[in-house]
Amino acid sequence: MDKSMLGDLSSLPEDDKLRMAAMIDQLQIRDRSLLPLLIIFILRMYNSLVERCFNDCVDTFRRKSLDKQEETCVRRCAEKFLKHSMRVGMRFAELNQGAATPD
Amino acid sequence: MAGNNNIPSQVDKEQIFGMAEKEMEYRVELFNKLTHTCFNKCVEKRYKESELNMGENSCIDRCVSKYWQVTNLVGQLLGSNRPPV
Repeated sequence: MDKSMLGDLSSLPEDDKLRMAAMIDQLQIRDRSLLPLLIIFILRMYNSLVERCFNDCVDTFRRKSLDKQEETCVRRCAEKFLKHSMRVGMRFAELNQGAATPD
Repeated sequence: MAGNNNIPSQVDKEQIFGMAEKEMEYRVELFNKLTHTCFNKCVEKRYKESELNMGENSCIDRCVSKYWQVTNLVGQLLGSNRPPV
């Protein structure tokens, strides 16, 4: 989102121009916070997912490599957590908007 | 109206940026804790399969809802500014 977008809008009436400028300003506030947060969010998710699945699935250290069972467990763990995370995200968004949710 | 200045000063703008950023960080943190807490409460560690079953789905929905209510409740209690009972 950059100010050069305003150039294309110079043909709009004054009122709309002001409103567009205000919107673009708003988005800049968002964008300034959004990208680094998104990166931090994804990295945290990655790290905590690894930690979780390792703790839940790996208990023995007789060998250097993961055996089939451990590998399957980690795959399921990661998939399950990601699906769970998406579901939580949906519900969270609903609650944020104040939507009524089924009991 | 003379002397009515509606344009936010540079200082005000910085404060607004700062507060908006803090608000975003708070929401991300809230989401993270919520996600982890409800996973711990609702999903068995044995990982028999990669899908969420119906019971887990319901549990997750209710867990998120209750967590949200607790967040609001605690927020109210913290915000009431009276000494704790």
